[in-house]
Amino acid sequence: MESIDNGSILSPETEAQKSQSIQAPGEGSFSGGLQASGDKMWRNVVYRSIRTVVFSNKLNMLMPFGPLAIFVHIFTGHNGWVFFLTLLGITPLAERLGYATEQLAFYTGPTVGGLLNATFGNATELIISIYALKHGMLRVVQQSLLGSILSNMLLVLGCAFFSGGLVFQEKEQVFNKATAVVNSGLLLMAVMGLLFPAVLHYTHTEVHFGKSELALSRFSSCIMLLAYATYLFFQLKSQKNLYVPLNEEGSQNEENSDVDDDESPEISKWESIVWLSIMTAWISFLSEYLVNAIEGASKTWKIPISFISVILLPIVGNAAEHASAIMFAMKDKLDISLGVAIGSSTQISMFGIPFCVVIGWIMGRPMDLNFQLFETATLFITVLVVAFLLQDGTSNYFKGLMLILCYLIVAASFFVHVDPSSADEGELKT
Amino acid sequence: MGSTGEMIDLESDEEIPFSSSAATNKVAAFEMNHLPPRSVMPNAWIARHIVIRAVRSIYIVLLKAKINILLPFGPLAILLHYVTGKHGWVFFFSLLGIIPLAERLGYATEQLAFYTGPTVGGLLNATFGNATEMIISIYALKNGMIRVVQQSLLGSILSNMLLVLGCAFFTGGIIHYEKVQEFNKSAAVVNSGLLLMAVMGILFPAVLHFTHTEVHFGKSELALSRFSSCIMLVAYASYLFFQLRSHRSLYNPIDEEGGNGVDSDEEEIPEITHWEAIGWLFVLTVWVSVLSGYLVDAIQGASDSFNMPVAFISVILLPIVGNAAEHASAIMFAMKDKLDITLGVAIGSSTQISMFVIPFCVVVGWIMGVKMDLNFQLFETATLFITVLVVAFMLQEGTANYFKGLMLILCYLIVAASFFVHVDRSNGNTLLPDT
Repeated sequence: MESIDNGSILSPETEAQKSQSIQAPGEGSFSGGLQASGDKMWRNVVYRSIRTVVFSNKLNMLMPFGPLAIFVHIFTGHNGWVFFLTLLGITPLAERLGYATEQLAFYTGPTVGGLLNATFGNATELIISIYALKHGMLRVVQQSLLGSILSNMLLVLGCAFFSGGLVFQEKEQVFNKATAVVNSGLLLMAVMGLLFPAVLHYTHTEVHFGKSELALSRFSSCIMLLAYATYLFFQLKSQKNLYVPLNEEGSQNEENSDVDDDESPEISKWESIVWLSIMTAWISFLSEYLVNAIEGASKTWKIPISFISVILLPIVGNAAEHASAIMFAMKDKLDISLGVAIGSSTQISMFGIPFCVVIGWIMGRPMDLNFQLFETATLFITVLVVAFLLQDGTSNYFKGLMLILCYLIVAASFFVHVDPSSADEGELKT
Repeated sequence: MGSTGEMIDLESDEEIPFSSSAATNKVAAFEMNHLPPRSVMPNAWIARHIVIRAVRSIYIVLLKAKINILLPFGPLAILLHYVTGKHGWVFFFSLLGIIPLAERLGYATEQLAFYTGPTVGGLLNATFGNATEMIISIYALKNGMIRVVQQSLLGSILSNMLLVLGCAFFTGGIIHYEKVQEFNKSAAVVNSGLLLMAVMGILFPAVLHFTHTEVHFGKSELALSRFSSCIMLVAYASYLFFQLRSHRSLYNPIDEEGGNGVDSDEEEIPEITHWEAIGWLFVLTVWVSVLSGYLVDAIQGASDSFNMPVAFISVILLPIVGNAAEHASAIMFAMKDKLDITLGVAIGSSTQISMFVIPFCVVVGWIMGVKMDLNFQLFETATLFITVLVVAFMLQEGTANYFKGLMLILCYLIVAASFFVHVDRSNGNTLLPDT
């Protein structure tokens, strides 16, 4: 009976009704079969839910790697493989988490939906960072968040511009200049907030060496969180039409004749919430193994930890955004791609990083905003260059190619980059 | 030997506005009329024909332009080198001697571009546009003077963006006093964005070195530089492909841009034939190489006798030579209110150097076994980044006036003064680890 519902996209109420009406005749009299039909209904709902969420997406082929990684960890303890397999295992989970968030956003309306997207959009990176904080691996946290910003701005944006430019070769794609400029301005301000503790430290001019920049970082983080809250308020309240969650953008444009966009939710409200918690729990579980395996993997494969943190970890966290940005660029919806890429960077720099500092404060970890000099300089240069590039409001495949090549150069720099403060310094500090 | 007749031929050729092929045909036809029928043409006639052509060619290429007054300084420099060995004078004279050669090299390239069409013409301009800097750099590399190479290329970018652009804006602004000159904003922004990205690619090895965070000290940034250079060369190739193929209207070699205008006094037809252009290109390149050899050899001695730091010579003096021709043409176009061409020359040349010549020199150094890397020292790197940022920002509004030009020139003077009192802490020669 489940096969009848397979692949149909119905509204939640009719779904429930349909399943009920289909079950009832098959069960004989209503009252007698109510208990059995109730159970069957739940089971059908669960099966259908699992089918929609877990089996419909091709990316979910990578899901078995998660349990496999745990298996390998328990039985062989070979950190390199554990790391690699967990990476692969988290990727589909991150994507499904994004999917569940979007589905939930259908039910909660644009305001709370926007908030949800803003918070859960980078949930994977946040979860990984919190685990790393717990283990005292402060540099890993700083570098993975930094790498997430860099990868969003260079790699994701570059791939989007490049693929969009290749598909639309004869014309130049345009995007809304004003939004891009506002977002780059915000990003620049966030980077400025990050810079000052680092600059203070590197000019060796703090009052209490080693303690001042921690205090400054915590203060700055509170201010940045306040700024982020205001940013959300500003976006969601005053400019409701500018900021729309991805799915609803597709459903609200009536002139769009693309009906293949997700215009209606596929799972019910409670299912979304449940899946959201399940995915979050599952990601947390895998992240534990991931973070534990970082150092071992670094030694096994002879890659610097900074390369793993800055380049490899963010690729996992951003895989879903990456795919969706490219897809929207190829459909000539560059505004959405930009929103995904730059919005995610802004979110990490104004929310993710200060949030980790505050969490570290609560946990008693000396996590501060003093990213080391090389990372800080890289971030500053990158934000400046990208902000400049977005100013004229056009895109073509060459710009995308240049962004990707710049990312390759940055990745290569991190490959030969030794972290001056040793990676386990954080563990000693606890 | 009928030289008067040749003179008359030359005058009439120039004033007739024909297309390139027509001009060539006319030239050929004209010549043929003076010759007897083929069947009875003895060798003497052929020889005379070639000599006539050669003399005519030499006249057009070498004697017509006023800048060629400086030509004798070249051989004079060589003479001085062998007779007195006084490096200061040798350096100074070879500088003066290279200037007209660089300009003629540009001229020959443009002439050749007439025959090859816009695509290959654009490629030619893109490659030979900075041939002088490339030749000087390769000689310096062969002598192991890595810092000179880095600094001269850096200085070339700085001089293009500050001095050339500044002079162009200034003179254009003074001549067109009443109005504000405009240029195509989007092209300028796109080009400055590219320049910014190219500079970013160059910066990372330097930043890596200066935060002392490389894995293998001294070896990592070399490997990173070589990797980055290959990537930048790929980027340059796609830049050319993109410009010449997709956005052909944006990219026009300078002469053809002039051909699109209604000014009939500009050169719309080529003045020398296809093979002459190639021949001259070859001859001038060889001549520039010879002089560069003497120039590079004399740098150290000149620095000692003139009491100037080698850094100042490399960053300020050498690029002025290489850029003299572009300088003059940029100013000329600005005075004719064709600021787009000026910008194309200045910013395009800077982009070309940062995306092509610098990585090319790293790769050539790699082949030669010389440890040339992208780690320009901290002062030079910071200067480059600040300059590119400021100029990119300034080009954004799409207008120019003499004040902007003056500011750019003054900035260049400040940069030059900084290099005058700048001691290069890393030794100018190879293989010594820098601080």
